[in-house]
Amino acid sequence: MNGWKSRLGWLVGLVIGICFLPGCAKESAPLSLRLGIPYSDNVQNLESNYYLNWIEEKSGVDIIPVEIRQTRCEEYLENLASSDTEIDIVLFGNSFVPSEEYLDQYHENGYIYTASNGDYVYRDYGDSVSSGCGQVLWINSDYLSALSLEIPQTTDEFEDMLRAFKERDPNGNGLKDEIPLLGSMDEYALNPLYYMMNAYIYCDPYHSLFSLENGEETFVPETPEFACGVEYCRKLYRDGLIDDRLFTYSTSQLTEMVNSPENIVGAFTSDSIGEVIYQGNPEIMAKYICVLPLKGPEGERNTLYVSREPSPGAVIINGTGKEAECEKLLDIMMSPEASLIARFGEPGVDWGYSDGLDVSIYGEKAKISTINYIWNSPQNKHLNGIGPKHVPEELFLGVTWNGINSDMEYIDARAKMSYQPYLPVDRSSRVYDEKIVKEYEQEWISLIKGEEGTDE
Amino acid sequence: MNRISSAVMGLVLASALILTGCASTANTADNMSSKEQLAEVKNEAELYEAALKEDTLIVYTVSTRITKVKEAFEKAYPGLSVEVRDLRSPDLVEAVWTNYDSGSGECDVVVCNDNSGSFYDRLVKTGAVVPYVPDDIRTNMEPDCVGDTISFLIEADLFFYNTEKYEACPISNIWELTDPKYEGKIYVPNPLRSFSTYALFGSILDQSQVVEEAYTKLYGRELNLGEYNSASELFLGELSKNVVFTNSSDEVYEALGTTEGKADFGIMVSSKLRMQDYGYSFEAITNLEPFCGCKSSYSVMLASRSKNVNAAKLFIWFLLGGSDGTGEGYKPFLTKGTWSARTDVINEDAMYVPDNQLLIPDPLELSAKSAQMDEFFERIIKK
Repeated sequence: MNGWKSRLGWLVGLVIGICFLPGCAKESAPLSLRLGIPYSDNVQNLESNYYLNWIEEKSGVDIIPVEIRQTRCEEYLENLASSDTEIDIVLFGNSFVPSEEYLDQYHENGYIYTASNGDYVYRDYGDSVSSGCGQVLWINSDYLSALSLEIPQTTDEFEDMLRAFKERDPNGNGLKDEIPLLGSMDEYALNPLYYMMNAYIYCDPYHSLFSLENGEETFVPETPEFACGVEYCRKLYRDGLIDDRLFTYSTSQLTEMVNSPENIVGAFTSDSIGEVIYQGNPEIMAKYICVLPLKGPEGERNTLYVSREPSPGAVIINGTGKEAECEKLLDIMMSPEASLIARFGEPGVDWGYSDGLDVSIYGEKAKISTINYIWNSPQNKHLNGIGPKHVPEELFLGVTWNGINSDMEYIDARAKMSYQPYLPVDRSSRVYDEKIVKEYEQEWISLIKGEEGTDE
Repeated sequence: MNRISSAVMGLVLASALILTGCASTANTADNMSSKEQLAEVKNEAELYEAALKEDTLIVYTVSTRITKVKEAFEKAYPGLSVEVRDLRSPDLVEAVWTNYDSGSGECDVVVCNDNSGSFYDRLVKTGAVVPYVPDDIRTNMEPDCVGDTISFLIEADLFFYNTEKYEACPISNIWELTDPKYEGKIYVPNPLRSFSTYALFGSILDQSQVVEEAYTKLYGRELNLGEYNSASELFLGELSKNVVFTNSSDEVYEALGTTEGKADFGIMVSSKLRMQDYGYSFEAITNLEPFCGCKSSYSVMLASRSKNVNAAKLFIWFLLGGSDGTGEGYKPFLTKGTWSARTDVINEDAMYVPDNQLLIPDPLELSAKSAQMDEFFERIIKK
């Protein structure tokens, strides 16, 4: 009997012990969440990344970063849905971003968790001020100096300048290797045709080429002013002042060409100078100066307006059983505190709150002082644009200059401030339709190239 | 402020040398070898040969024009490379000091405005940077440009006006700039972030007598100081009510010099006159009651913990234009609004400013009064 009791006692103890063990384990080991994070050249090590460690500490969750090497986002999500890969949250950013339509479908298919506020996409509200000038012309000042030319202000002066760039060997190497004007069709901001057209009529691809004149919606390609602009571009193309590579080059090919030590590019357009010139290349950065919108023959002078819409930053994968914890983690990532780290890096080291003695790069009262400018360069403080964030607009407007003369944010802000007077007062309410814009862009190019059947 | 007398200069130089010596005794062995290398005399070819065995030269500069010197230098001396770190003056001083203090040696040559007490206090007095002028150039330098700092370029911090708006300068007395009609129309780099504005404002603070006389001359009445301690303080206080403070001189010429120019007047370094060549429409005011600005100079110094002393010496020799001053390194600086620091090189594009129109800042005095001035500048900026 004693033996039976004793055995029973052992058994009860063992059962109780087994019951308690998982509980103890739960208390000591934090919950783990696996974050799918697209690879970036500018993020050195996900395990020791300051931002990831910060949100890990803040949330009390163990973050397991899983690097995504796949470059096609939708394909990745497709594979994720059909495989047993364990990912709790997928972060998006840089070129790894699905289309809104795809995400809607993915959600409808039940793959994405809907948060308690009804949203199923956590958004990235952007890296700088959300709206304003969307395209700036940059001209090689070495070329201007070498040829004793002034900055062009009109379309005629611009044409003369491009001609001088082409014919008078401004890089002084004895070869006619200069490309007077280069660009890429990858992005509207990189396409100088829009910049030139804006000297004839306000031409805005982000509103499907519609403009609002005296309260009336006008489809710009059907206006006589547009025809004059096309004629101007056509002449430049015919005279070899617009390079053919504009129509075929990718952004990276354009970047390579502009950053080449051979100094062969005369002018290009971009939204940010950092899109085309490497941040770590102050010599090239110093060469290019911002040029205001050109004045057309009828006195027209416009700045392309862009409103940067929030893009998908993250989704929670459905069915993992950890959705509620994922939601809490993403709420932390969306907080202003986390968003500032996601954008500017470590507080007190890479940025700090301004002492009120500075003027911001946008001429406002300073709020944020950048100490180390680490955006778009290899670092390990944040994910360089990957993931959701929402930095309040007034903080972006209150960023001060860090004193580095080649700081692209400062150069961009000055350029955009100078373009501001030429922004359209009224804008079309048409939504962006890529198909329409691309279709008309192709016709526009055919006209410029003088391809068969385009004379009329 | 008047020109520093040669006796005072000698005393300053002697003190600086003693201080430099003191600082050096605490330095590392590396630094000692740098000191020996500094004293070693080599000609251009020998420096080049020795520099080829060294690493990338790192130049800290406040002048973007150094990028042109870099290009010409790398072309002239194949195999040598230069990294340019282009910063605003207070940030440069901080970076060079941090570099020196940490002993990292990631700085070889420093190019900075030398009129501010801060440059003198933090870098020259501590021995973080030392003067180096090649023997074949020394005798061709303006005498007051060679001392405990080597000033290689003279400029001025001046008042400018917008020539799109005004055919001729609409003012003749500095007090006119305090007129409320110019509110928001005067662009000036923040004196707490720009050494040249700091030196100008600091020099104005030292000129209360003439500032007061200029007031009486313009308005024909006595000055009422009100809450201020001096005529200069009152002038700067009233001026700042009309001023938009900017981060740099670049923002000033951009606001001044285009058809849509937001500014009527501005204060900036005279070398920005070169932007006229690109079509910016502004002009310097060179005749104003009682002064039109202050002298400003730029030093080139050798970092005392440089790891690439031979390349650094060669770079400085090249930047100063070589033995006869005609080299490519000096050319980027001989533009409108600058004056050569060499007796054998004339800048054909230099502008004329009467001597009595320019204040001469005294870095030692600026340094001594910096706490008081900083507090005053903070007050007027925040207003």
